[in-house]
Amino acid sequence: MVKVFIYPATSLILSDMVARFGHTPLSSATAIRERIQTAGLESPPLQITPEEPKKGLKWAAVEVPAGVRGRMSLYGPMIEACEAAIIINDADLAFGCMGCARTNELIKFLVHQKDIPRLELNYPKNEEDGVKFVAAIKRFLTGLGGAK
Amino acid sequence: MTQPVRIAQLSCGPEYSGIQHEIDEAAREVGGEIFFPDVALKDIRRDFAKFGLDVKSPDLKLAIARAMALVEGRVEADAVFIATCFRCAEAAIVRNELRRYINEHSRLPVVSYSFTERTTSGTLLTRMEALTTIAKRRALLARETQKGLTLGLDSGSATTKAVVMRDNKIIGTGWQPTTEVLKSANEVIAHALAEAGVSRDEIQAVGTTGYGRFLVGKEINADLIQEELTVNSKGAVYLANRQHGPATVIDIGGMDNKAISVMDGIPGVFTMGGICAGASGRFLEMTAKRLGVEITELGPLSMKGFGGRVPMNSYCIVFGTQSLVNALAAGSTREDVAAAACHSVAEQVYEQQLQEVDIKEPVIMVGGTSLIEGLVFAMGELLQTKIVVPPYSQYIGAVGSALLASGFIKDD
Amino acid sequence: MTDYTPVHVGSVTKYVMVESFEITPADLAARGYEISKGVMIKETCFGLVINGKEEEVDRIVAELRKIDPDHIFVKDRGFPPGDARRCRANLGGARPGYNGLEFEMSILPYVSHGLEVLDKKDAKDVPPPEDPLEHPLLDIYKLKKLIDAQES
Repeated sequence: MVKVFIYPATSLILSDMVARFGHTPLSSATAIRERIQTAGLESPPLQITPEEPKKGLKWAAVEVPAGVRGRMSLYGPMIEACEAAIIINDADLAFGCMGCARTNELIKFLVHQKDIPRLELNYPKNEEDGVKFVAAIKRFLTGLGGAK
Repeated sequence: MTQPVRIAQLSCGPEYSGIQHEIDEAAREVGGEIFFPDVALKDIRRDFAKFGLDVKSPDLKLAIARAMALVEGRVEADAVFIATCFRCAEAAIVRNELRRYINEHSRLPVVSYSFTERTTSGTLLTRMEALTTIAKRRALLARETQKGLTLGLDSGSATTKAVVMRDNKIIGTGWQPTTEVLKSANEVIAHALAEAGVSRDEIQAVGTTGYGRFLVGKEINADLIQEELTVNSKGAVYLANRQHGPATVIDIGGMDNKAISVMDGIPGVFTMGGICAGASGRFLEMTAKRLGVEITELGPLSMKGFGGRVPMNSYCIVFGTQSLVNALAAGSTREDVAAAACHSVAEQVYEQQLQEVDIKEPVIMVGGTSLIEGLVFAMGELLQTKIVVPPYSQYIGAVGSALLASGFIKDD
Repeated sequence: MTDYTPVHVGSVTKYVMVESFEITPADLAARGYEISKGVMIKETCFGLVINGKEEEVDRIVAELRKIDPDHIFVKDRGFPPGDARRCRANLGGARPGYNGLEFEMSILPYVSHGLEVLDKKDAKDVPPPEDPLEHPLLDIYKLKKLIDAQES
């Protein structure tokens, strides 16, 4: 099984496809789960404390807004851990964890910097697109090998 | 138990900066409750397109749609809190435009704030308190005349002020630098009572405001303990006799500055603090000290000089003082240096705070610094308007408190 | 600052969504309850939220997928079901992630169609979708053709 970073990291479709074709999706939910299942100081709702934007300094300098650095504390380690990535480029309506365009630009850049298999797509707009979309993902994921 | 004030949050980033609970906490402390206006995806798509500000961040699109749902009455709220990350240009544009949009198209009070991961509930408290007051205490803020015998106290970061008022007239005042909060308060109260020729027992109602309002308010058993944003707005339009229609109130304080856009005496949009000490009353105090004059002499001195001859525009009080020392060493006159210091403070407040409120005439300057003519002159030049400085402007918070406190006099 | 003591440590939560004219979330829930064995299942308007030990949740998810593989979709969730921090009732409105999910739900029919077609067809035989990173300029000959068409 290969660890596949998905973008948008909140995507139901990509999360499903990666798991369906036998690999492990790295998503926002798994990062948030880790935060809320770790003891520390109370910081609802996401258990992201003011320490997280400081951890984010590893990926973005201090003059970068706190919200970007806090988000990078979730995504930075995942980008480092991933072995492949699927990116949907026209994900303009992914909110919350993917709600900041500047963070999203940085995430895509960092994924592009990694020498890993990467598939770039747009969302399907009709049934014909849907077939091409699923086929491309299936080919990509099968090609990674080691599927469960 | 009274219903909490429902504060709609429009934001991008606080959950990820680790400060969402600080916002919730600040709202709770002043009887408010934060909520997120519910919108569906189709609303977001339609309203984002309709608003016409083509930003890229999805959470800002969501904030725009939520703002429109509030303005169009699809979601009910008592007040609005807009918060985005400090240093994000995209969010700053949205924050300003949403604030303006809500202010122009609804009666909802709005406060906007740009946060960092260091923002605490304490920082947000005064703003939230003003927001809940405006939302829920319109009846109290509607008061236009002072009645009976009341005492108002303003426990500020730099100075403590008290006034005694009777039947719409100021009959006693007290003023001194704040040292120990309670001691300073007791002394100015004693002075104001002595000047008014009344005893503490005769006072029918008491109001407190300023940084020390809770501590002092509890000690002297105040009827009204209220933040300085609403109190000063009220005091300003009352003293300037501009209780109806629009006005802009500017208060450059010892520690932070307030710029308030007022309508019929009630704040609509306001900003508070935000700049470094180079844009505070403290910097003018240090300037006076370095020039060897009393703070009261700084105004007349600066009016004899020309600030344009001395470069001075530092955010920082240390570097600002350095510019001052350098200018004097290079042979600049004390008059020019005094004028430059006034211009520097006015310019920074103008550039960094007044852009966040809509300036509407009359512009009323209040607080101790409004007595420094050079500062008022510099602000007037920048805003291209004649600034109103009402009588007793240095007692603004105390007057506002005494005025509002008269609403608490029990009818016998 | 108060100490935070996490609950449901070591558990996972998954959404199981159904996008179908034939199967309802209630059908899915009925099957889920049959095989749940101590795993927490919550029914929602678009499907189920399942919380428990990873192996257990995976077993149930695999069983549920069998009902209608091309129309059932699964995704991880950070919070356990009904967590007050994410609950609509407590927040006054949906959490932002919900609107994102709403958007993807509108795409699901195309994905389901793709899955159905690929049950019968090899993915290798399907042409690739457009590369979103390529923005080809208009071919000069095509442009000439367009101009000619306008002029004639």
